[in-house]
Amino acid sequence: MPPLDRLTCQDTFARLDDYLDRALTVAEMAAVQAHLDDCLACAREYRFEQGVLDDMRAKLAHLEVAPGLLERVRAAVDRAAQDLGAG
Amino acid sequence: MPCRRVRFPSAAAPARLPASPAPSRCRAWPLPKDDSLPDAPTPTTAEFIRLLEPLLAAAHRTALHLTHNPSDADDLVQEASYHAFRAFHTYRPGTRFAAWFFTILTHAFYGEYRKRRRRPDTRDIDDVPPLYLYERASETGLLGSDADPAAAILERLDVAHIVRALGELPEEFRVVASLFFVEDLSYEDIARMLECPVGTVRSRLHRARRLLQKSLWDVAVEAGIVPSAPIPTADPGAPAGHQE
Repeated sequence: MPPLDRLTCQDTFARLDDYLDRALTVAEMAAVQAHLDDCLACAREYRFEQGVLDDMRAKLAHLEVAPGLLERVRAAVDRAAQDLGAG
Repeated sequence: MPCRRVRFPSAAAPARLPASPAPSRCRAWPLPKDDSLPDAPTPTTAEFIRLLEPLLAAAHRTALHLTHNPSDADDLVQEASYHAFRAFHTYRPGTRFAAWFFTILTHAFYGEYRKRRRRPDTRDIDDVPPLYLYERASETGLLGSDADPAAAILERLDVAHIVRALGELPEEFRVVASLFFVEDLSYEDIARMLECPVGTVRSRLHRARRLLQKSLWDVAVEAGIVPSAPIPTADPGAPAGHQE
């Protein structure tokens, strides 16, 4: 295991998925961040990866709910309440 | 201690599901009958709708990614709402209702909609190399000196393109991608929903990220939004700028 105080590009790349998912240890997160602060190429790749997900999520937030869905949900919940009362 | 994404206190899990006869596969089960739980105050439909209504857009979005069909997505949300209200006494007030409801939504999907699928999802998936979208964008001259290269590509895609790209993923990757990348649920929430180890969720997400990037690019090429062929470079051996 390479020392965390000085990660190479390869070491950082190997951790990129977990870094994006915030699934590294505190020490590893700091080590990856330190490398990204120093390496423009790796930083650009990381920003791109994160940006794709952020932009995709932002666009999908505008997906519209079909008209009438809330009413259908209310009807389903009322039916469930009736079935619970009957059962 | 491993660092894990922490969002909100996890919702109480729905009543324990029956043991799987095939634990080697990550799968979800329908909820059991509720007779085993102690008496609780009768939940009201108004209280339930008050909790569910703010989630409706996210539930519809997730259902759409799961079913890949708008009509089926609405049916799935309706069915999940029915089952969720019947199991409402298992929800612990103050815990994360979204995680609790999405568990039921996912179970409803695995319990019903998969059975209706006309053909099994047997697509062969080649391993997609990492940074796929970045590399394609670089080869076709889309990155340039843009301050936000990701936006330079994503702004060319509309919501329908992104929904389609997600829909092209095989189901096991589409489910985790939707729950994690889109709905921002945690590894632990997803693992609980799918009754998988956290490690399985993690490895699927890593692969899903790459598959999704390829899918986004393929959709963009097919729509004529981005060029399909790399732009010839003057010096193909130019270094990438990485440190040794």
